[in-house]
Amino acid sequence: MKIKTFSILTAMLCIFTSQSYSQILDFDAVTDAMLQNPPDEEWLSWRGTPKSWGYSGLDQINTDNVGNLQLVWSWAIDDTGSGQAAPLVHNGVMFIPGPRGVIQALDAANGDLIWEYRPGITPSIDGTDLEISAEKLGDAALPTTAYAGVGRGVQKNIALYGEMIYSATENASIRALDARTGLLVWESQTADPGLGYFYTAGPIVANGVLVTGITGCERYKEDVCFYTGHDPLTGEELWRFATVAAPGTPGGDTWGDLPLRFRAGGDSWQAGSYDPDLNLVYMGTSQAKPWARAVRGTDGDALYTNSTIALDPNTGDMSWYYQHLPGETHDMDETFESVLVDIDGRESIFKMGKLAILWQLDRRSGEIIKATDVGYQTIVNVNPVNGNVTYRDGMIPRIGQQIDMCPSTSGFKSWRAMAYSPQTQAMYIPITLNCELATFGPTEQVLGGGGVGPVRRINYPHHDAEENLGELLVLDIPSGEVKWRYRQRAPINSAALTTAGGLVIVGDWNRYYYALDAETGEKLWQTRTTTSAQGFPISYMIDGRQYIAMPAGVGGASWSGMLPRDLAPELSRPRNGNSINVFALPTD
Amino acid sequence: MSLRYPLIRQTSLQLFAFYCCSVSSMTISAQSLQDGIYTAIQAERGAEEYAARCASCHSTDLRGNSNSPSLIGLSFMFIWEGKTLGELFHKMSTEMPTESPGSLSMQSYASILAFILRSNDFPAGDTDLAASADALASIPISSN
Repeated sequence: MKIKTFSILTAMLCIFTSQSYSQILDFDAVTDAMLQNPPDEEWLSWRGTPKSWGYSGLDQINTDNVGNLQLVWSWAIDDTGSGQAAPLVHNGVMFIPGPRGVIQALDAANGDLIWEYRPGITPSIDGTDLEISAEKLGDAALPTTAYAGVGRGVQKNIALYGEMIYSATENASIRALDARTGLLVWESQTADPGLGYFYTAGPIVANGVLVTGITGCERYKEDVCFYTGHDPLTGEELWRFATVAAPGTPGGDTWGDLPLRFRAGGDSWQAGSYDPDLNLVYMGTSQAKPWARAVRGTDGDALYTNSTIALDPNTGDMSWYYQHLPGETHDMDETFESVLVDIDGRESIFKMGKLAILWQLDRRSGEIIKATDVGYQTIVNVNPVNGNVTYRDGMIPRIGQQIDMCPSTSGFKSWRAMAYSPQTQAMYIPITLNCELATFGPTEQVLGGGGVGPVRRINYPHHDAEENLGELLVLDIPSGEVKWRYRQRAPINSAALTTAGGLVIVGDWNRYYYALDAETGEKLWQTRTTTSAQGFPISYMIDGRQYIAMPAGVGGASWSGMLPRDLAPELSRPRNGNSINVFALPTD
Repeated sequence: MSLRYPLIRQTSLQLFAFYCCSVSSMTISAQSLQDGIYTAIQAERGAEEYAARCASCHSTDLRGNSNSPSLIGLSFMFIWEGKTLGELFHKMSTEMPTESPGSLSMQSYASILAFILRSNDFPAGDTDLAASADALASIPISSN
């Protein structure tokens, strides 16, 4: 890898800092073909490939030698918000998304900084005189002492395509950076952040189009949540798909008589997957808002909330949808990752939401193939064959009436993505075991109001978990039978990574990362990081040496805040510590 | 005999002192959100602190987002009515901001709480809101 160092001093930089920048000289443009079939040495998409397996084909680090792993380098990421990084690696460079829109490029072999993009101090756009004003920066212009929190400022994944890096911001914009220099090339705002809109999940690239879903859609307003397709070169918005059906449109009658302004939710806060053969993108939506039917004023299905949606990335036309939980009423998201696996020649999608029901869908038609309830939840009955969901007696909340439910509104499953291993034909699923006494309350049905609705909440441990909160649940695919479980006191708090070395890598809230034998669950190695394991671990190879990068992070919403605080109060973690920690075998 | 009178006097003084303390504590326990228990200046300081440390989650209009509850109006009162200001102060000062719990000064938490009270139309007064959960433990949160 060749890099060139040069200095940029502008009036703006003089105000804040004088900073040295380098650029990547040897950068191969990332093509669609590379994204679809990346070399094992690289990590080009947030979950490795557009199929979102979270699987590395590298086997230099394996069950026999993983006990010798050593720290090679680490890097502190900004502590201005929750760290949930999904790094990418290309041409020996690691691109790290940090809180508040910061992106950094590091030499992936030794951790040297090459360039960094910081909203507010990036002086110009690729040699032009165009500067970014504080007004345009919005929340990003807050003082560095401001905390982005669990909402705005989170930046999970970024995308690589051509010679650019793409991100989605806390200010409801899609951004393109020059991957060689980190300089801003274009920025396209898709919605008004003043109405609550923001991104936490970044784009994916599908057939030459950036596909991104927005969140922050819980307020009552005159428009609704959406996915967009953008031209990667220009930033032009090519199409927009509304995730909430408007009155008078197909599905519009599933919200009862509510006018559009009182139809909320359908957020997207986890990036999608892509099947190039079918040219379909698979995206998830979250539940309707407010969470409880009685509060939002309709017991209708509320399309297209809590659904998996298949879209043509070039037109935004919906090929099919599958609504997992029609008329959902407990904050049980189904918006998470879509894992694309072919089973006996049948193209399938595997998904799991907060209820820990594993859904297998036909990704050509959207037809349900199988629904596997792992048996932890107490809210619904699900037909394993046709996927029909019915609420158990007394489990539809009324305003002010306490119900006892498992899981809590935090869910068993969250954005900590599951990983698939083709070696074991199993899914490795980070789970937190928990329940809740929940009392749902009212909201004001006025423009600007709404929201998720208040919940008086008392968390308690799951009946069957023996005080354990954390579980790595391993399900055989496609049978859905439990292959093994790894349970422990602290919540499992990172996404899972599987490798051809027969390993599964996952971390917990108590700062440990583990390497487990993917076949047996035996713990083979562990280390401890700066703060909670959080984000998306990856693996890559440079000059014949395999590395495993393990992100750590603070924040992470109620899964990482309220649950361990209430249910495992003897555990603690530092207030700061967002970081990347990179391990490899000794070279001697 | 000469000792009895002073003893009676002493007892009377003790009873008087107990009465005064009781009246005093009754006065405190009778304090309500309608009594002007924070100052306008304190709430103004709290507004600035809120903008810097809280608004990115709970929004500038205090209505919250998916992960952060509303701190205003019907939704706020649904969660907190019947509890005490001390409980709210304790939660704020030990759990907030979620990225860095307890990282603000007690005075800052009190100012932010004053701003929340102002935003919910509870009146300001002449005395700053106390910066301690214990001192606020007897003040009920009530819309009345």
